[in-house]
Amino acid sequence: MTSRRLAALLGVGVIAIAGCSANNNTGGSTGASTGASASTSSDCVVAVSLNNYQQPRWAAADKPNIQKVVEDAGGKYIDADANLSNEQQLTDVDTLISQGAKVLILLAQDTTAILPAVQKAHDAGIPVIAYDRLIEDPDILYITFDNVKVGEAEAKAVLDKVPTGNYVLIKGDPGDPNASTFLPQGWDNAGLKDKVASGDIKILNGPDGTFTDAWATETAQANMEAIIDKAKADGNTIDAILAENDSTALGVVGALTSKSYGFPPLSGQDGDKANLNNVALGKQYVDVWKNANELGKAAGQAALGLCDGKSMADLTIDIGASVAPTAGNSPTDFTTPGNKTVKSFILQPTPITADNLGDVMSAGWWVTKDDICTGVKASDPGGKACGL
Amino acid sequence: MTNVADTAPSSSQSGASRWRRLLRILGSAWELLRLRFAQTEIDLRVFGMLVALAIILLGFNVLSDGKFFVPNNMVTLAIHATSVAIIATGMVLIIVSRNIDLSVGSLTGFVAMSYALLMTDWLPNVMGIGPDFPFRWLIALGMGIGIGAAFGTVQGFIVAYIGVPSFVVTLGGLLSIRGAVWYLSNGAAVTGLDPTFQLLNGGAEGSIGGTLTWVVGIVGCIAVVALLANRRRQRRRFGFPVRPVWATIALGVLACAAILGLTYFANGNYWPAGLAHQYAVAHGITEPDGGLKISAGFPIPIMLLIGVTLVMTWMANRRSFGRYVYAFGGNPDAAELAGINTRWTIMKTFILMGVLCALSAAVASARLNGATLDIGVSYELYVIAAAVVGGTSFAGGIGTIPGAVLGAFVMASLKYGLSFLGVNSPGQNVAAGIVLILAVAFDAYTRRRGGRR
Repeated sequence: MTSRRLAALLGVGVIAIAGCSANNNTGGSTGASTGASASTSSDCVVAVSLNNYQQPRWAAADKPNIQKVVEDAGGKYIDADANLSNEQQLTDVDTLISQGAKVLILLAQDTTAILPAVQKAHDAGIPVIAYDRLIEDPDILYITFDNVKVGEAEAKAVLDKVPTGNYVLIKGDPGDPNASTFLPQGWDNAGLKDKVASGDIKILNGPDGTFTDAWATETAQANMEAIIDKAKADGNTIDAILAENDSTALGVVGALTSKSYGFPPLSGQDGDKANLNNVALGKQYVDVWKNANELGKAAGQAALGLCDGKSMADLTIDIGASVAPTAGNSPTDFTTPGNKTVKSFILQPTPITADNLGDVMSAGWWVTKDDICTGVKASDPGGKACGL
Repeated sequence: MTNVADTAPSSSQSGASRWRRLLRILGSAWELLRLRFAQTEIDLRVFGMLVALAIILLGFNVLSDGKFFVPNNMVTLAIHATSVAIIATGMVLIIVSRNIDLSVGSLTGFVAMSYALLMTDWLPNVMGIGPDFPFRWLIALGMGIGIGAAFGTVQGFIVAYIGVPSFVVTLGGLLSIRGAVWYLSNGAAVTGLDPTFQLLNGGAEGSIGGTLTWVVGIVGCIAVVALLANRRRQRRRFGFPVRPVWATIALGVLACAAILGLTYFANGNYWPAGLAHQYAVAHGITEPDGGLKISAGFPIPIMLLIGVTLVMTWMANRRSFGRYVYAFGGNPDAAELAGINTRWTIMKTFILMGVLCALSAAVASARLNGATLDIGVSYELYVIAAAVVGGTSFAGGIGTIPGAVLGAFVMASLKYGLSFLGVNSPGQNVAAGIVLILAVAFDAYTRRRGGRR
């Protein structure tokens, strides 16, 4: 009786797994990474260590997509949340390894403090994927959005709108390389540096702009209010504002509102609920959106490939064309700031203005059309996208 | 030869005695000044803070080529100080009664997020109170204050009746309440408050206007004079020593001049040109050259802060609750033996703190037109710093509410001034830390050598 039931269960399982892998093999011509054989997929345990769940995107976009790709292929998904603590994350990785992880996906709290944990994974023969944030180690696979490109998209949108005039630069936490290096590099690539040199653009808040401790909205707001007061005292007008991300952009909008300044073109990134709403309301001009659904899929696919015993160089991924790496679906070399060469998939961000808000609404993003269109009137920039 | 030998010492002798005489005159002049100052009964510590604040503001004014000390900037600075100052008035009572509250930042964040969710989601979708419901902002504010008081009650109960040290209880609060903020919105920022509630942001429309500001100024002036006169009469009635007449008059004139000067200064803050233009067009007013000048006057959050400071000072000095707090802080055992219900008193300080956090959260969320996960982060540090800079002692029993408010202004003016000059946050933090230590060191020094006061 029991043995017969067991046999039946086993049979169903084998069929399910076979069906799944068959699907994957026929589903996409580049779906090799997910075309894991039945035997390895079933014991492919993909472990994910996230540094935090504080921003809504992790729980709403990244996690479910990784999980779905892995579980659809018959693998097992486990994860841990380090709550913004380096020490906690080291413990988390230990735990995940002891739970039988075959591949480790790491969103590191710190690019170097995580190295002992990465070394442990290497010692256990577990391949490591640096997810969304770089890890300074030569043997990792780096899957992320191109942060320089994010900066480029922010500045390009605003520069096209306001080619000359007075700019304000609002940056993130001074200790975060994205804030101090990559995003500003993108701004310069888009032409900010040249325009400052030629005198077309004047930066009102010093050559380097203003940093925002911990990317905190309240801090960004207080800083922006001081900048508005200074501009007023100097008799300057603010023509455009480059803010590095959405939490700081939200603070800028708060300052502009309380100062009744009007809303000069303003950038941001992340595709947060309040900010996409502000894009529709005309309070923020551009929000550079990193579709983390696709990032999660890419990481899941790569993890399955690594489970299969593929080398990092032989991996391929299959994700939406609009965010797919410019270099194609095979890994490219990426040189870290610490001069190490690693394999990488670098996805492309999508700049969202009021004109293409529909792209977000149709993508299954965690921010819904209702969220984006709250309080939007037909005369607002996003009126058309909201169907008014 | 002899002449020279004779004259040299005698001339130096007369020089020394001249110096000594001058010093003696200066010394007695100083003594007289000190005595006269003591007769005015002005709190030396508060006076010192005012001087320090003036030095900071004037320093920034010089460094910015005179662009700093203008009404528009001072209004911004005052609004920046408000959130911390409101909570600091309550922190004084907490520290005076030998406790600490580390959870204020998290609680402010929790209530701020509650306001945002109340007005965007809970009220319209759960309770059926839509955007057109009258006094919707007041309902939200009342519920927020209720939430703040509830948290305060729980923490106060655990501290006062169960006897867990307040440091531990509120450290737990700091962590768990901040965590709970995440669950309210899954970490997302929530925006879109009630337009009336938003007036608490202290912008041009969130100010009381020129006329009303003058009314407030004049009423304030009359109140100070009446208060001085009344106190004089009361003291005479009970046979207490009174200030000399000149001191009372000088104090009244000075206070009135300060209040009216502040009023005049605040009315020098005009509506932004664009908004004034819209107003002129909407009301069919022909604009004069250089645009319409509409005085903004005192911002509503500042009016709230003034109200909170007055009520808290009155409670601390004139109500038995306040006197019990100071009595307990001065000597817990004596207070207990004197028959004061010390537990209930301590619990009340925490409830009050929760209410003040809710008021502060109202200003913070109105300023942002919503709430984020990080509203109120590190407030506990700024608030404690403000109270301590304002002369509150960790030994208990000592501290004034106006002092703490001034302390908040000193810290905020440093931060805002450096921001205005374009100094980035690391530099601001260095300056804030140094001033904190200097202020407390100065306080400790004067307290040690000035046994007389």
